[in-house]
Parts: sequence; structure tokens; C-alpha cells
Amino acid sequence: MEQTRPFYDFCIPFNKDDKVMRALLNELVELGYKTIAIDQSFDHSRKEAGKRGSEMFPEPHKVEHLRKEFGDKLRILQRITILYVDVNVAHAMSVSLNLRKFNLIAGQPKTDAALTHCCTTFNGDLVTFDPAAGSRLMVNRKAYQVAVRRGMFFEIKYGPAIADSNNRKDMIKVAHNYGIKGKSRNIIFSSGAEHQFQLRGPYDVANLAFIFGLSEDQGKNAVDRHCRQLFLRAESRRLGKTIMFVKGGGPIVFSDSSDDNQGDSQDDEMEGCPKEEELDEESDGANGENNEEEENKPANKRLKTA
Amino acid sequence: MVRIKNRYIAVQIVPYAPTKVLYLNDNTLTKCLLRNIEKYYGVYGLGMIEQGFRVKYINERTKIAIIRCMHAGHRFVSSILPLITLIGDVRAKFRTLYIGATIIQCNKFIIKHQKKFLDREMGQLTSAKERQDLFKRVMEFDMDR
Repeated sequence: MEQTRPFYDFCIPFNKDDKVMRALLNELVELGYKTIAIDQSFDHSRKEAGKRGSEMFPEPHKVEHLRKEFGDKLRILQRITILYVDVNVAHAMSVSLNLRKFNLIAGQPKTDAALTHCCTTFNGDLVTFDPAAGSRLMVNRKAYQVAVRRGMFFEIKYGPAIADSNNRKDMIKVAHNYGIKGKSRNIIFSSGAEHQFQLRGPYDVANLAFIFGLSEDQGKNAVDRHCRQLFLRAESRRLGKTIMFVKGGGPIVFSDSSDDNQGDSQDDEMEGCPKEEELDEESDGANGENNEEEENKPANKRLKTA
Repeated sequence: MVRIKNRYIAVQIVPYAPTKVLYLNDNTLTKCLLRNIEKYYGVYGLGMIEQGFRVKYINERTKIAIIRCMHAGHRFVSSILPLITLIGDVRAKFRTLYIGATIIQCNKFIIKHQKKFLDREMGQLTSAKERQDLFKRVMEFDMDR
């Protein structure tokens, strides 16, 4: 299983200035977050008509130096937020290679049709809400329940809500709408903070659940367990059906030989090496039998490098 | 046995610009909190929590405060703490450290928290005098309010 540690904050907007970024990340460490995602947004509706290439999504920003710097203290993931108006985005997403380089994919629909699509067929993990556009978009009951069944998550950003009272009203409205339509299931909190002063500690954020109409448990889960589920879901979307994968510390040499004995001995070697073997859960449910399979038939495992 | 249930909220005040000493007393803090509760929850919220609401302890140097309120309305208080950005006339934010049912537990937690802070800071100081000063400053406690 891919290890992540609580608490989570899955929306830190990317900033070109390294100094600002570093200040934000230092504050996050100070507050006790362990897993965060750096967000970059991409407006699909503003594409050029002439460009029909296979690649329309940008490359992820380079954050290797930050990753190295914060190494053990903070796990940095990458996330893309796709703003879109119509369902054409689905095709572009299916052919894109750059999209696979992101850990998380969030959709930010701009119209009602797009919102329904986002909940029912969108190939991402997260539905987010644009604080600047006001609260015209309201999810309906059917779409919300389909989304919950598919394991999609809904995001509530508290950063803008702290800064501006109009925004706060909209956020409360949207959050209560989730409560009315489906008991606030599958909701995560994230910051979306431009400045470190807008960041709050995880317990403070869990307390915010009270004004967003969530119960105490749901509030705690929104910064902890649901984020973990979201991460696992995103990971399984990236890797496909996986029982386990092996992470290599150095170069890995695969042998093509079909001889069973040799195959076994290779397996033993793999275990002897100082490599992390990690079991990837499909999602939150339906993985009990996978665990047993893995123990009974070690020769059956599929090796993947990550 | 029946008794009055209280909640004690231990908070740390984090100013916008890092400063050594915070010029705040318990009165200003109480006023600020009550004003904010009225802003967000109106008269109903104020009525729910005003009885028994008190700032039990505030330390200007370590910037830690303990707020007491009744159990019935304590979520009104804890849920607005993240939304406050102005305390008195200082731009600052709250950071909830601990919510406990007795002040002794709060005290224990704060001492543990301060010890952790000391461990981090002590390494950077060289002279023994400075260390003693820091120790005194961080661990000072007087709960006579």
C-alpha cells in the first residue's frame, strides 16, 4: 500500500515565486500537515480552434527541488484542475499523456451540463467549485448520488472563505446544498490559500465543519480519511487494476526467461533487495480478496515500477 | 454526580508579522471573541455561549490562551476561531491546540507543547544564560486569574 500520513491538504495553488512557495510549505509543516498537493489550473474552454494535436494539457510544474528539500517532512503531490464548459474535454483527456503525470485530477465545471457530466462520467477524482463565480451552480440529487457511488469527492475550499465574507456566504450555501442533497457524503476540505496567513491547522479546519453543516465525524474525515480514499482512488486510476507494485531504489533488470524455477528465484531476489513492496488498494472497498490472493500465490504478482 | 460541564479551549495566537511580545489582555480577547460570535451567529449564538464564557489564561510571550465556555455552545466558539483574522487591533490568527473538559488536562497539554517547542529552540542557542532565559520565558505559568 502506498503510504501517506495525515493530515492532508489537496489544494495549494502553484506560485512561480519560490520564496512564497517555501513560506507556504514551511507553514504547512508547522501546522502538522504531512501530505499536500500543489495545484495548477487549466482552462479547457479557452483552447485554440486550430490546434488539434493530441496534447492539450500542460506539463506539470517542476517541483523536484521542493520535494527534495522537504523530503521526509512533507509529501508533495501534483494536481491539475480542469475548467471546462462541455463534454469535449472527455476525448482530450483520454488521449492525453501529460495527464498521467499528475497525481490528482480535479474538474471544475462552469455550466450545469458540465456539472452533471463531471459527476457522472468525468474521468477524474475530485469535483471542485469556483469561489469567484458565485453559487449559481448547484449539484442535483441524482448526479450527487451517482458521483458518491463512483467514489468521486467534492471539495470545499476554506481559504477564500476566510478572506472574503461574500465568498464565505457562497461556500456555506454550497456546503449546505451537499448536506441537503446527500447528507454531505464524500466531502474533503482543502485550503486554496494564496498566502500562509490563510492557512489553518487541521483541527481548526475540522471545527469549520460546524458552519458547513457537517457532523463532527464528517469534519474530521474531511481532512483525514476521505483524503486518503481520494488518494488511493487516484492512484488506482493512474495504474489500472493492480494487486501490488514494487518500487525500485535503483535500476531494475527484468529477465525474459519463462522458466518457472528461474522466475521463483528472481522473486526471492526481489524480496532480498532493499526495495519497498507496496500493496495498492483498488479503492476503499472490494479489496479484501486481493490481499489473500497476494499471500497465496506469490508467483502470480505483477511487477510494476513506479 | 451532576456538575456543570465546561469546555476549555487552548489556542495559540499567531500574529501576521512575527513579534516577540503580544500586547493583549484577557479583556480585549474576550471582547473580540464575543463580537465575532455576534457577527457570525447573531444574538442567538451570543445568548448560547455568553454565560460561563471567560478567558482563563493568556500569556503574552508564549501567545497561548485558554478560553472557557459552556459545553452546550462550545462548537459556536470553536467553529469561528479559524475565521478570525483581527484580534484587538493586531492582525493575527488562532490556532486551536487542544479542547479539553478540565483545565488540568489543558495545562498538561500546554506544558507538553511548550516542551516540544523548547527542544526545537534550545539547539540554536549557544550561551547558558540565554537558555535559562528562554526556559523561564516559555515555561512561565501563573493561573491565578
